[in-house]
Amino acid sequence: METLGALKEAVIKGDIQKSTTETGKALEAGVAPQDILSQGLIGAMDEVGERFAKGLMFVPQMLRSAKTMQECVGLLKPHFEEGAVVAAGKVLIGSVKGDLHDIGKNLVAMMMEGAGFTITDLGVDVSPEGFVEKVREVEPDILGMSALLSTTMPAMRETVQALESAGLRDKVKIMIGGAPVTEEYARQIAADAYAPDAGSAIAEARRLLEV
Amino acid sequence: MKPTDIACVQPRLKVLGREQALAIHTAALEILEKTGFRMEHRGALEMLAGAGCTVMDGNRLTMPCYLPEQALACAPRSITLYDQQGRKAMPLVNGNCFYGTGSDATFTLDLEDGRRRRTVRQDIVHFARLVDGLENMAFAMSMANPRDVPVEDIYIHAFAAMLTNTNKPIVFIADSGRDIAVIHELAALVAGGEKELAKKPFILNYSEAISPLRFPVNVMEKLLFCAQKRIPLCLPSGSNAGGGAPVTLAGALALGIAENLVGLVVHQLAGKGAPFLFGPNVSVLDMKSTVVSYGCPEWSLTQAALADMRDELYGLPTWAYAGASDSKTMDAQAGAEAMFSIVTAMLSRSNLIHDVGFLEYGSTSCLEMVAMADELVSMSRHFVKGVPVTEQTLALEAVERVAAGDPGAIFLTDDHTFDHFMEAQFLPNLLDRSRYDAWEKAGSPDLYRRCNGKVKRILARHAVETKPDVVLKEIDRIVGRP
Repeated sequence: METLGALKEAVIKGDIQKSTTETGKALEAGVAPQDILSQGLIGAMDEVGERFAKGLMFVPQMLRSAKTMQECVGLLKPHFEEGAVVAAGKVLIGSVKGDLHDIGKNLVAMMMEGAGFTITDLGVDVSPEGFVEKVREVEPDILGMSALLSTTMPAMRETVQALESAGLRDKVKIMIGGAPVTEEYARQIAADAYAPDAGSAIAEARRLLEV
Repeated sequence: MKPTDIACVQPRLKVLGREQALAIHTAALEILEKTGFRMEHRGALEMLAGAGCTVMDGNRLTMPCYLPEQALACAPRSITLYDQQGRKAMPLVNGNCFYGTGSDATFTLDLEDGRRRRTVRQDIVHFARLVDGLENMAFAMSMANPRDVPVEDIYIHAFAAMLTNTNKPIVFIADSGRDIAVIHELAALVAGGEKELAKKPFILNYSEAISPLRFPVNVMEKLLFCAQKRIPLCLPSGSNAGGGAPVTLAGALALGIAENLVGLVVHQLAGKGAPFLFGPNVSVLDMKSTVVSYGCPEWSLTQAALADMRDELYGLPTWAYAGASDSKTMDAQAGAEAMFSIVTAMLSRSNLIHDVGFLEYGSTSCLEMVAMADELVSMSRHFVKGVPVTEQTLALEAVERVAAGDPGAIFLTDDHTFDHFMEAQFLPNLLDRSRYDAWEKAGSPDLYRRCNGKVKRILARHAVETKPDVVLKEIDRIVGRP
C-alpha cells in the first residue's frame, strides 16, 4: 500500500510532521486503523529495530522514531474501540529501592514503548512494597527492575521475595538489568530474564510473552 | 646567553582559550542561578538556604553566583596525599600528574586463565599489591566489587583489603555516612589518630552526585563527613555527554562543573578550607551501545579543558581518568585507547588520574592492563620532559672526540654515552624491541603475556612494607565487628 509506504519511511526517519500528516491521509483514504498501526507504524519500528541491530542507526534516531510512532498512535486512538488496540504487553518498570539512577531505565522504557509495549514507569527508589502494590493494581505482564549500584542490587531479590509473599510472583514475569547485574544473578534471585541493554530488553520481553 | 641557561620547554596541551573557559564557567553559574538543583539532604539544604540560596519548591534550590566564587576562593589550591607511613607522596598542585587504578569493577580477567569472571576480595589484594610494586602507579583504588563479602559492608572490606596490601595512598568509595565513618576509623588507626590523618591524609573519597543536578542524601552525608574530618574528597558527577548531560561537550562540561560547584559550596560551608579535588567526569554515552565510553577521545578532551580552566580560573587540583579501554580483552584497541588517554592526561597536566587498568567501559578490571599502563606512563613521562638543551646535551665535545678520534671510535664507547644514556633514553621494560630471533626463541610472547609474567613476578616477589601486628589485628577487629 503506497500510502503506508510513505508513512513507514517517515517514521523510520523520525519525521514527526510528515508521519502525522501521512497518518491523517491514510485515515481519510479509509485505510483501517488497525492496518495503519500494524503495517505502517509497528512495521516501521520493526525496520528501525533491525537497522539499529545492524549498527545502521543510532540511539537518538531510534528514540525519535519511537516518539514519532507514539504521536501517530495518538491520532489513531479515537478510531479504536476502547481496549481494541492490542499492545505487545503491559510492562511495569522502575529503579529499585535506594537507587536514584534512571537513565538506563528510562531508555529501556522508551524503547519498549516504541516496540509496542504499554509502559507504567514507577520512577526511581521504588521499594519492594511499592512494586508489589503496583503489580497488584496494574497487573502487568512484565515487571522490569533496574539497579546501577552493587549496593542497591539486593533490593531486586527483596522485591522478588515480596512478590512471592504477596502471592503475586506467578502472575508476572520479572526482568532485571543494570551495570552490576548479571545473567547469573538473575538466576540466583529467580528472575525470569536478564537484559544487558535496551535492545535485548525488547527481545527478552517478546520471548517471555511469546509475542 | 650560554646554552646552559636555556629553559626547557615542557610540552603542554592546551585546548581552551581564556574566553572559552570563562564562557563555560559563566554557563555553569547560570545553570545554578536560573535552573537550580535538587538537594535531598535536609542539613545541606538548610545550610545552603542560610547562605543565600533560594528554595524554589521542596528540595529544589537556586544558587546566587557569589556562593561558588566564595567557595572557590576558600578551597585550598593544593592537596597533598601522603603514603601510609606519613611520607609525602602526591602533591596535587600545578601540573603534577599521578596515576592510579579505578574502583567498582564487577568483573576481572583472571590472571591464570584470562577468563572474565566476577571479582572477589582476593582481586583487591592483588591489585593493591601490584600498585604497590609499580613505580608509576601512585595510588590504589579497589578495582573490584567483590562478590564474596557482605554487600552492605562491601566498601569497608575493600578498603581493609587495600590497607593491608599497599602503603600507597588510597582513593576509596563509601556508600553513606555509616560506612565512611568505619573507613575513616580504619584510616585513623593506620595514621596514628584522627588528627594525624587530617594533617597527613593518605585517603581521598570518591563520591558522585547524579546528573543532571541531583544531590542524594547518602552522597551529601559523605561530603559533609569529609568536610568535617578534613579528608580530601572529589565529587565528579556522571555528566556524560548525551547521557546525564547535553551531547555537546561545552554543555556537558558546564553542567558537570555546576554540579561540582554545588558540592564545593556545601563542602566549604561545612568545613572552610577543607580539601576538595575539582572536576566532573565528562565522557560520552555511546550512541549505539549506550555504554559510557572509557576509551573515547572526548573524555580526554574534557579533562584537558578542565585543566585549562584550572589554570585560567579555578586554581584547584583536578580529577581525571586514563589508561582504560572499552575493549573486552587487552588487545590492540586496549593499548591504543590506554595510551591515548595516558599521554593526553599528562600533556594536559591533569592531577589525580584514576581508572588505569579498566577494560570493557569500566566493568572489567585487568592486572595485565595496569602493568602495561605503568610502562605507558613511564613512556609518556619521558616524552613530556621535552628536549633539554644544555652544553651537556648538545655534546659538541663528544662529536669532536668521535669525529676526530681514532679510526673505529664510536659514540657507543664514548664516556658521554656511558654517562648520559640512562636519562637520555626511554628504556622500555615490557614494550618489546628485541630482535626477531630472540623474541621467537623466547616463545614469541605478545604484550599481554609479557604483562602477565610481570604481574606474576611482582605478586610473588614484591614485599609490601608490613604494618605493626597490633594495627593489623585492630583492622580485623573493626572489619569483623557486627
